Amino acid sequence: MKKVSIDPITRLEGHGKIEIFLNDNGDVANTYFQIPELRGFEKFCEGRPVEEMPRIVPRICGV
Amino acid sequence: MLKKMLGQFGVDEKRLRLDWVSASEGDRFASIVNDMTEEIRALGPFNRSDGGK
Amino acid sequence: MPKLKLALYWAGACGGCDVAVLDVNEKILDVANLADIVFWPIALDFKYHHVEAMPDKSIDVCLFNGCVRSSEQEHIAKMLRAKSKVLVAFGSCACFGGIPALANFTTRAEIMERAYIEAPSNENPEKTLPQTKVKVAEGEITLPELYENVYTLAQVVPVEYYVPGCPPTVDLILKVVNALATNSLPPVGAVVASEKTLCAECDRKKENKKITRIYRTHEIIPDPSKCLLEQGLLCMGAATRGGCGALCIKANIPCRGCFGPPPGVADQGAKLVSSIASIYETDGKDDIQKMVNEVADPAGTFYRFGMSTSMLRRKHSRKR
Repeated sequence: MKKVSIDPITRLEGHGKIEIFLNDNGDVANTYFQIPELRGFEKFCEGRPVEEMPRIVPRICGV
Repeated sequence: MLKKMLGQFGVDEKRLRLDWVSASEGDRFASIVNDMTEEIRALGPFNRSDGGK
Repeated sequence: MPKLKLALYWAGACGGCDVAVLDVNEKILDVANLADIVFWPIALDFKYHHVEAMPDKSIDVCLFNGCVRSSEQEHIAKMLRAKSKVLVAFGSCACFGGIPALANFTTRAEIMERAYIEAPSNENPEKTLPQTKVKVAEGEITLPELYENVYTLAQVVPVEYYVPGCPPTVDLILKVVNALATNSLPPVGAVVASEKTLCAECDRKKENKKITRIYRTHEIIPDPSKCLLEQGLLCMGAATRGGCGALCIKANIPCRGCFGPPPGVADQGAKLVSSIASIYETDGKDDIQKMVNEVADPAGTFYRFGMSTSMLRRKHSRKR
């Protein structure tokens, strides 16, 4: 099947890509939205002092 | 404090030792170095695990 | 002077550096006069294939923010390096690893496990984890490979300039824009910030560098006129490059080192251990243990932004 990629998605915060599969008629057979990033805040914050969280977690999203 | 911090990096605190020895304490110096050498030998080589992606 | 071709990209980032560029407010018009922005995902709709099609060195300046910790981020870093005359490591993540580099205290496996399986808000009974290639009914879809370690931009490609900060301040950004406009860039390799530590630009009264107690930031309300370190708070300013205008200090909170080590210091965290320990008054072994107990998280505090550029780089596991 023909595949149309939108990579990267833009004008928002974050990374993403969209893969659109077209069938022989040129209609959309299926579309997949994927997030190609992971930083691990939910893990590396474990064990850190709680009062430091307001200085660490805003870096999840700077917008 | 360095030992505590090194522990967070996965470095066994036995790999760091602080002692004060004067130049006239030859025997003491030798015994400290021998002790530490044996400790390290027992611990085995330090495995840096930041090789590879 | 023909307009410069400018690109901005975010790798392992949060968007803060991109917003910081927008924070120049009306001066963004100066940027628009000076440059054609050819790639900037937060604001413009150019795609990777547009960048791929550009001739090498056709981009005059690329401001690259975010750390590198995936194959896609490395790929785009290499692509932008090839297409750009000048590549700038923009922001603490690109310069030192930044906050995401705290992931170097854990492993990829642990991160995936927590994010996709353990987290309380997950609904993933099959325990599915992301894969680099997945066959679907229609064909195949791919994801980048997540690396074990977090890298700075310069650890992946050669870099001409460094603009530190989480995010870089508006003043620094305007300094960069101005240097581009007047074609007066500093020598290659320069860090666009101060050549001194933060203490040099901090207005507070510095009297006696001797403390007998270290406080966690919620334990006291500091006196806004006196040095924070002298009040027993862990202020990283003593081993942090200045140039930020001491913004955090002005908000009565201690510096956390986002501008990286000052010139001449190879490992910021090691320098901080030495700086803190040297001002703490102790009277024997028990006092030393007391001091150690008062520092809740030495590695995570002293290397808050700089794990990727530290000597030890990451937490090393005992087994191979």
